[in-house]
Amino acid sequence: MEKNSTNKIKLGIFISLGMLILILGVYFIGERQQMFRSTFRLNGVFKNVSGLQIGNNVRLLGVNVGTIDNITIISDTLVNVEIMIDEDARQFIKKDAIASIGSEGLMGNKALIINPGTGRKKRIENGGLIATSMPIDIDSILSKVKTTIDYTAEITGDLASMTKNIESGKGTIGKLIMDQEWRQKFESTFTNLENGSDDFRTLMAKANDIDDLLLSIKETMANTSNITKNLASITNNLESGNGTVGRLLMDPTTANNIDSTFISLKDSAVGLKLLMEKAKRSWLLWGF
Amino acid sequence: MSETQDVNIEKGKNDSQILKTDSIIGKFFSEAYSITFFTIRFLKEVIKPPYEFNEIMKQSFLIGYKSLPLIAITGFIIGLVLTIQSRPTLAKFGAESWLPAMVAVSLIREIGPVITALIFAGKVGSGIGAELASMKVTEQIDAMQVSDTNPCKYLVVTRVLSATLMLPILVIFADAVGLLGSFVGVNKKGNVSAYFYFSQVFQSLAFADLFPAIAKTFFFGFAIGLIGSYKGYNSTKGTEGVGKASNSAVVFASLMVFIIDMIAVQITSLLQ
Repeated sequence: MEKNSTNKIKLGIFISLGMLILILGVYFIGERQQMFRSTFRLNGVFKNVSGLQIGNNVRLLGVNVGTIDNITIISDTLVNVEIMIDEDARQFIKKDAIASIGSEGLMGNKALIINPGTGRKKRIENGGLIATSMPIDIDSILSKVKTTIDYTAEITGDLASMTKNIESGKGTIGKLIMDQEWRQKFESTFTNLENGSDDFRTLMAKANDIDDLLLSIKETMANTSNITKNLASITNNLESGNGTVGRLLMDPTTANNIDSTFISLKDSAVGLKLLMEKAKRSWLLWGF
Repeated sequence: MSETQDVNIEKGKNDSQILKTDSIIGKFFSEAYSITFFTIRFLKEVIKPPYEFNEIMKQSFLIGYKSLPLIAITGFIIGLVLTIQSRPTLAKFGAESWLPAMVAVSLIREIGPVITALIFAGKVGSGIGAELASMKVTEQIDAMQVSDTNPCKYLVVTRVLSATLMLPILVIFADAVGLLGSFVGVNKKGNVSAYFYFSQVFQSLAFADLFPAIAKTFFFGFAIGLIGSYKGYNSTKGTEGVGKASNSAVVFASLMVFIIDMIAVQITSLLQ
């Protein structure tokens, strides 16, 4: 009989302990779902909830402060999300707060993220409507990423063929890198360029001298211009028969005079020659 | 006329051959009828007074309390092994921080209830089957009937009710101990505080994980108790029948656990 009652006590403890574990489990799960805390409700209207589900977390400044209580489609373009938030967090959520849909992680659940708003506004009311912003559409990001990846694949393919060509010494760069002869030519070109740049530097250093040179050239050019002008006037005078040389060249009378002068001179010279012959044979000048 | 009669007789012979109790189909349907009849009888006896509370307590102690060490050890090992085995796969994705959540959900939803039910079927189902079968072959059940004691009420109802009520409690223990085992597994490589571990566990769990899992264990317990009792109560062929009843009780109960589990999963997913 005593054994029977001991067994009953043991059974009682066993059942009680089992129930206690169950109740604790229920309490801790309920605690997470805000069941045993004072809460308030908000509504948010979205165009697209991007897979947000009932029970997903609500985050304020990265802290879990509530859960999604209900999601209902209210029209063909709008979805109403009922949010249950811990009453303690209400003081931080102002009337101009904005709710958006984000992710808990790369592969994790969706979460509703609340931007608390500015401190000047009053805190939001229970059952109030919170402003919303469109969630980032992962699909559109992925499609953009895919396009980028496609381009990257093309570019890397081209780069691979380019490097292959370079390695096999094809093309200018390939020859430059792989061909010994080309490399030497390139090196000599560089040496020439280097020398050229040295010369250029020297030239630049002499830039002041060049200025002087240019000035003297300018003066010379001015003088040349004057000389040309003078020459032009001289030729004009010559053509018009002014002056001695002009008359000499252009005046027929002068030419005749000169001719006659020369003839006279010739005749005089012949006369002089005869005179000289006669003088030689003269006795007065015997001995010369 | 006589030819038609002959054909009918021949046809009747074939029908009876198909439905003969020793053919496979015949055995199946006759067994299905017997179990259904046994279940209905059980339900009638449950409702009808007097109630054998003392016997229910005694059986609950034997079935529930006495099974606790075995269930606890199994639960601890399952939690530990599941954690250690899952870690490399999660580490490949760099998601080791999800280990408590993953183990908790799989343990509470599926592995805890099913493994506990299978161990329970092995220990309690076979025990009930063997006990009732030996009572049957030693004509103790007949003696009870003669002495105006309802053997179905005294032997079957008490055992089935105890099994139905004790298995959920054992599953709660197995889940709790399994989570402890998982905590040990997580700490095997790394240093995670108990507070952090259990907050991660409860963060990942929802009532939708816990309540359907607990609810289906009532059906597991009922099926194990009922099948054990049925096999024992209807055993034949002397002492040989005791072993057979015990064996078939375990096999059939284990199979029923999986069938009920499949139905429960379908219903749960429909309701969610």
